[in-house]
Amino acid sequence: MNLEDYRTLFAATSLTLMLVAAAPTLSLVVPFTRSAELFSELWVLGSNHMAENYPFNVRVGEQYPVFVGVGNHLGVSAYYMVYVKFRNQSQPLPDAQNSIPSPLPPLFEFRFLIMNGESWEAPLTFTFLEASRSENSCLIRRMSINDVVFSVDLSSTWDSENKGFYYQLFLELWLYDATSRSFQFHDRFVGIWLNMTG
Amino acid sequence: MSVLKPFAILLTLLVFVSPVFAFGDSALSSENVAASAISMAEESVVSAYQTVLEAEAAGANVSDLLARLNVAVEDLAQAHISYRLGDFDGAGRFASLCIDVGEAVKIEAYKLRDLAVEGGRQRFWWTMVGSIIGVGAVVCGSFLGWRVFQRRYFQRVFGMKPEVVSDES
Repeated sequence: MNLEDYRTLFAATSLTLMLVAAAPTLSLVVPFTRSAELFSELWVLGSNHMAENYPFNVRVGEQYPVFVGVGNHLGVSAYYMVYVKFRNQSQPLPDAQNSIPSPLPPLFEFRFLIMNGESWEAPLTFTFLEASRSENSCLIRRMSINDVVFSVDLSSTWDSENKGFYYQLFLELWLYDATSRSFQFHDRFVGIWLNMTG
Repeated sequence: MSVLKPFAILLTLLVFVSPVFAFGDSALSSENVAASAISMAEESVVSAYQTVLEAEAAGANVSDLLARLNVAVEDLAQAHISYRLGDFDGAGRFASLCIDVGEAVKIEAYKLRDLAVEGGRQRFWWTMVGSIIGVGAVVCGSFLGWRVFQRRYFQRVFGMKPEVVSDES
């Protein structure tokens, strides 16, 4: 190596060391874009905290415990709301593709804040308090969710294909949007099908 | 007598009907009070949440504040549920609880945010001073190192003796 080669090597090494010395300040000034995907999770677990043992064949007077959970991966702390809604087979579900929530009124609701990377979970216990059945229809008059009693007055006709009176308890995830200063449907929902047997 | 009779009937009717209107007014007033309390509670929570976000962005640890604010939003959810069920007194009570906690959290969040902003500013200046010293040390070190290296290089080159190679072929 001649002197010019040594000079180039010295200059390159010095520049590298200068960058290393300036890196802490640069990291505070230069905004580094996040490559990670930002999203939220919503789940319902069965009574044993697993994705199994969900209530299906239900009857009046029995308690059905499940667990609702939400995970925050949005990069900042977030303010969420979960609406608990109840429908029969003919009533509309949310349209997550087009960000349209179900027009059905909520029965119960959860509100909570979660730090980024953390999750929230709460028990959701529902009981059917009053229902009546005729030959090919079933009417649920009252139900309770977490000990709060609601008048639902929701009927379901006999599903001859699947042999049952089907209802669905579903949960919609809403996220507080600081820009619009309101909750927006967060395009996520989960539900459990229930067959009213007695 | 004929004038007094319809008057007496009207008076009796008024006596019986007025509580109905009074009750209706009271229910309406109770509903309005609850709706107003819920609206204030929501504003309180949202304001506290946004201050918590600012504190978090400034680098503060907001986990305690979020835990306290979670108590407030649970009350707010209960207020909404009670309101939908027509329990306006309950709704107002839960909303008031929410407002109290929300306001307290907001004040704490402001303090934490200001502390974090000040801490961040100091951290930034110390980091910048450290970087400037570091870069300066690298520049000086490189310059001195290069001079020393250059001198030794020339001493080595000038200290070499020419070799005579005999051509024996």
